[in-house]
Amino acid sequence: MSAVPRTSPAPTGRSSRTGTTGAVLHATRAELSKILTLPGVWIVTGIILALDVLVMSASAGLYAEAVANITPDGIIEIFIGEPQAATVAVLDMLVASSLQIGVFLPIPAAVIAGQEFRSHQLGLSVLAVPRRGRLLAAKVLATTAYLLVVAVLIAGISTAFTYAAVRDWNPGLLLTGDAFLGQGRFVVFAVLFSLTGFAITVIARSTLIGIAVTVVLLALTMMRSPARTGPGLDAFLPAGAGRNLLLDAGANHLSAGPVHGLLVLVGWALATTLIAGITLGRRDAR
Amino acid sequence: MIEVVRLSKRYGDKVAVDDVGFTARPGRVTGFLGPNGAGKSSTLRILLGLDAATSGTASINGKRYRDLDRPLRTVGALLDGAGPVPERRAVDHLAWVARSNGIPPRRVGEVLDVVGLADVARQRVRKYSLGMGQRLGIAVALLGDPEILVLDEPANGLDPEGIRWIRTLLRDHAASGRTVLLSSHLMAEMAGTADDVVVIDHGRVVAQGPVAEVTAGHPSLEAAFFALTGDRPGPGR
Repeated sequence: MSAVPRTSPAPTGRSSRTGTTGAVLHATRAELSKILTLPGVWIVTGIILALDVLVMSASAGLYAEAVANITPDGIIEIFIGEPQAATVAVLDMLVASSLQIGVFLPIPAAVIAGQEFRSHQLGLSVLAVPRRGRLLAAKVLATTAYLLVVAVLIAGISTAFTYAAVRDWNPGLLLTGDAFLGQGRFVVFAVLFSLTGFAITVIARSTLIGIAVTVVLLALTMMRSPARTGPGLDAFLPAGAGRNLLLDAGANHLSAGPVHGLLVLVGWALATTLIAGITLGRRDAR
Repeated sequence: MIEVVRLSKRYGDKVAVDDVGFTARPGRVTGFLGPNGAGKSSTLRILLGLDAATSGTASINGKRYRDLDRPLRTVGALLDGAGPVPERRAVDHLAWVARSNGIPPRRVGEVLDVVGLADVARQRVRKYSLGMGQRLGIAVALLGDPEILVLDEPANGLDPEGIRWIRTLLRDHAASGRTVLLSSHLMAEMAGTADDVVVIDHGRVVAQGPVAEVTAGHPSLEAAFFALTGDRPGPGR
């Protein structure tokens, strides 16, 4: 151990930014550092992406065969006994492929949020950024940026596998506006749904509870029992809203339209983040 | 300067801090003494904005901690209950703390050198011993080259050489006109480091002032402490 060197008396350049914007910028960069240096985040993200590749690989052969058998009048039979217009079906399949893995994104979101409640890191985070609203804003911004990248990667993987299947039939299909719109909607869903899981983890102060509540929200939609839950309830659940936002109403039984779905997802993300902000602000940082 | 005025904290019916008031001045090391559960940590946590006070105020240079711009450049703190995630590397832990307050990245290497962790900076914190973890906490406190240090039991887990180093560091810090508020159970260590002491028991301040004044009539700070808190030296409360 040795004597303490002093820092420069007047910070310069980027570190001299002051005020709320500068403080949020510093805090967001710190939160990004926390995300990118936590092994758990990399492990969970790696597993999700590997699972994506595995699932897409497993179905690639059957999918390519279905594309090869598209009739001259443009009909495809991806699922036996369910003939559909090929263009619509392929684009729907593209988004559904992203969605089936995207529903796991709340897990890294919960790991990111839950790190604060392990080993009392929250205490140090509040020491560094004592304004809790600013701290939460930085966390949300950094988590959104990370989730955005992972969601785009998932969309990229499903696009790559779909391209491999359709390149001999219609290679330009995945560059159409409809294809980009579909994947764009998926990215919006993945980020908003994951932010909901992130906020629930902050409210519950537990990664496991955050994941469990997200799974319950998913299961309520996956079970798809409108007779029990009612079509109205499904439309107001985040995963149900995701289906409504992403999937084609002509080929799927949906409980509401895409705009309704988007508003519900935004509502869940905003409401849970607001509650997370209130609980973070009112409770002691323990 | 640190000013605590009529500070109280209740957890339901339990009073953790009761009308506590004291001042820690620049150029002096102020020792904060008290038995386990006396309210020391609660007071420090309120001072640093981690816990909310039931009543009273705690300020740093006339401001609440939360109102300080880039607070780690003004206050460096080591608290039990504010630590790193074990899976993260020490250097990464310090890097995010530095970024949060716009502290230049080179400070990370500098403070790692200062606390003697430069060679193990890329190890995960979970591999650290208690003493290494404590030195990492001290490194965090020193990152912003703060004018005020608030340290809760900084000598915990340190070897004799480390204890001597922290004593010298705190004395040098105060000698350069900075403020040090130090909580410790080690009476001999406190007697050799502090200029002023604040003794707290059952949430209330029972004595405060220069060490010589508080220990007047007692053979040592330890004897004065036990006389003031009503405890006898032994296995514990």
